[in-house]
Amino acid sequence: MTWTCEQTELVLSDYLDGLLQPEQQHAFDLHVNSCERCTPLVASVSHAIANLRALPELETPPRLVYNILDATLGPRETITGWAAVRVWLRHLASPRFAYASASVAATFLMLVTASGSINWKKPKLADLSPVNVARNTNRQVQKAYAQSTKYVSDLRVVYEIQSRLRQDNELPTNNESTTPESTPQKEPGRTDGTNPATPRQQNRANDVNTHLQVLAEELPFLSGKLSLVLIEGRSR
Amino acid sequence: MEQEAQLVQQCLQGDGSAWEELVRQHSRRVFNICYRFTGNRTEAEDLAQDVFLRIYKTLGSYRSAYGGFATWMTSVTRNLLIDHYRRTKRDRITDSLDDAMPVVENKASSARRPDEQALLGELSSQVQSALTRLSPELREAVILRDLQQLDYSEIQTVLAVPEGTVKSRINRGRIELARILQQMGVRPS
Repeated sequence: MTWTCEQTELVLSDYLDGLLQPEQQHAFDLHVNSCERCTPLVASVSHAIANLRALPELETPPRLVYNILDATLGPRETITGWAAVRVWLRHLASPRFAYASASVAATFLMLVTASGSINWKKPKLADLSPVNVARNTNRQVQKAYAQSTKYVSDLRVVYEIQSRLRQDNELPTNNESTTPESTPQKEPGRTDGTNPATPRQQNRANDVNTHLQVLAEELPFLSGKLSLVLIEGRSR
Repeated sequence: MEQEAQLVQQCLQGDGSAWEELVRQHSRRVFNICYRFTGNRTEAEDLAQDVFLRIYKTLGSYRSAYGGFATWMTSVTRNLLIDHYRRTKRDRITDSLDDAMPVVENKASSARRPDEQALLGELSSQVQSALTRLSPELREAVILRDLQQLDYSEIQTVLAVPEGTVKSRINRGRIELARILQQMGVRPS
């Protein structure tokens, strides 16, 4: 049987649907397998059908059915009275509504507790009046503001004390490099066997003592008087 | 089929719930045929509503011997789609049918919502675009055969043409669709 490209086109759908007779099927296969034009044609049509059948079936738009029913049967009856209340209550029984209600109640309780409106040991209905809630909220805000102000003020005092102590600790370190060390038992500035009032007094006494020692070495004839002064300075 | 005939009888007797049942059973199929033919969701929704309005008015003319309620409804849908196509054809500027269809598709594509594009995917969108570029005679035959999975005799009933014509239109429609897809760069791997 002689098979042509035109015949291939004519029976292509029958071939793809498996409707060809065995003889036709054989001749079709022989021709298509050796024809440069028909091989890609069969492949492309087969591919197109596969893509077409893979198209998804779309969902019906939700309003379509209602629009059709409204247009044909007329607007549906509206429920009134107790029937409407029962339908409404049925909606309230949904888990979503219960979860939302619990969330709102928890938020409300947190806000009321934070505002200090309710004394949980002796709760009163009057605590929930808007005036009392506003007053208690205002009081709580003022209290929180005062506490925070005091806290910041305390921090500033502590910081200032720390910075002054740090400055004073740095001064003797500088003097140690230029002045000789004094004996720990007889420190100048000590008058009654106790420590000097401030480190600055101690430093000043050290300086005076050092200068007197140098002067005594340079002027030996005055060493007697100076030694007395030195002794007095140390005893002071 | 007997259940549908019974529902139709109940509808004719004024049973609203029976009509609602019919609408719910068949609205998805009618909507999909309209969408695949027009390529536009809003247009398809309006056309599907018109189909059911026409069915509601002409329900008395339905006979179970016609070939099943679904086939009869598909026939009504097809007739309304062709009417719509001819009506909108007059509004188009171009004379040629093949030249006019891409214009319709371009409008449809631009009117398509982004979520719809994402839903269809790129390949599905290309196939839908190629489908709407077919002539209406070939398009309806391919839709009924390859998307609605109707057999030849059912398509013959819906289109009211001989079986040979049905086969020829399906065959030509498939070859033409493959050619358009190749032009769009959709080729078999």
